[in-house]
Amino acid sequence: MERVRARDPVAFEHMYDAYHRLVFGIALRMLTDTTTAEDLTQSVFLKIWTSPDSFRDGNFNAWLSRVTRNRALDVLRSRAAHMPVEIPADIPTEGNLDDIVFAKIDSQCVRAALAALPGEQRALIEMGFFGGVTHEEIARRTGVPLGTVKTRIRSGLRRLRADLQSAVSR
Amino acid sequence: MSDTPDRDAMLELVAAYALGVLPRSEHALVTAYLLADPQARAEFEALRPVADLVGLAAEEPVDSGRTARMKQRVLAAARTPAVVSASGTARRTGGERSSWFVGAGLAAAAAVVFAFVSTIQNFSLRSDLANANSRAASLQAQIAQNERVRMRDREMVADLIATDAQRFPVPQGEVIKRGTHVYLTLHSLPPLPRGRVYQAWTIAKGGKTLAPSIVFTPSTAGNAVVALPENAEALAVVALSVEPEGGSKAPTTKALFVRPLT
Repeated sequence: MERVRARDPVAFEHMYDAYHRLVFGIALRMLTDTTTAEDLTQSVFLKIWTSPDSFRDGNFNAWLSRVTRNRALDVLRSRAAHMPVEIPADIPTEGNLDDIVFAKIDSQCVRAALAALPGEQRALIEMGFFGGVTHEEIARRTGVPLGTVKTRIRSGLRRLRADLQSAVSR
Repeated sequence: MSDTPDRDAMLELVAAYALGVLPRSEHALVTAYLLADPQARAEFEALRPVADLVGLAAEEPVDSGRTARMKQRVLAAARTPAVVSASGTARRTGGERSSWFVGAGLAAAAAVVFAFVSTIQNFSLRSDLANANSRAASLQAQIAQNERVRMRDREMVADLIATDAQRFPVPQGEVIKRGTHVYLTLHSLPPLPRGRVYQAWTIAKGGKTLAPSIVFTPSTAGNAVVALPENAEALAVVALSVEPEGGSKAPTTKALFVRPLT
């Protein structure tokens, strides 16, 4: 990232090679349209190239995932009414221990941890992240009471965190 | 777990915020809670990176043709930042088509074909460009609207957590006044039957009658943070009642509370 900040086009190309599958994958999963997903992938990488300082430090995978989701939410926002608020990509944090620990996490690890969750927790978390809808809309679509949706999301995220931490320490 | 039910409910909202599924109506409530409660902030900071990493589950191999095409677009656009995706694509495609036609020859018949196809092509390019411009204008408007909403949210959160804000307890919440702004922050409001809404009322200083203010519907959980449009410095009383959808000119039901701002 330091080399991209220094406007090194080769470093930018390497970054694209390493991360375009993640950006395009999230965009396609959320937007379900390859053309728009390609546009969004381009837009995310151009954002990195033109504003490299928008990534301060920490876990680049997690930051890139959030930036891509926020951009996809912008697209979905024009299509639907029940949109959640987005979390700013530059929201400050007090420590970076997790960033260091979770930097070792890859997609296979995340998929395994998600697969280990109880199905009812996994489904709500995936619908929330990739569906770009509020917990109220999740409750409406699934027929699960709102209170149960909230409890399952919190329990699922806590368990996911524990599973990822133990995967990293293995 | 030692958390109280209320605290658990708030921490569930914090988890929803970390996953990015919190409705806008509950944003200010959770943001204010995070600012005020270090334990909630710690929970948010523990869950947020985990939620972000869920995105990694979508990483999939991309076929080599698509990878090459997207990479070419990104790198070309990076070299010329002023050229953005849609118009860039149109120009490039146009250039490729034009070179095909230049090689077609100079015969008169070919010229006729060239003119005919060029007309169709130009129409297509103009249409692409118009679509791109329309899309850009729509995105600009959306960005401007989002920025206005963010500014309002930031201002509201600053007012709600300010130490110099005046707080007037009411059943299920507070009326909060700061400077010229006045807010209702309410929780556990009973759900309303279809066609009914909550309506705020105000009495101006020196006045005697209730004037209609904003109508609102709380979240499914019964939470509401509402900014009243009136100038707080001119108000003596804030009240709340249940009214038909669209609001009333005068209260048609007994007020849930009538709160003097003193």
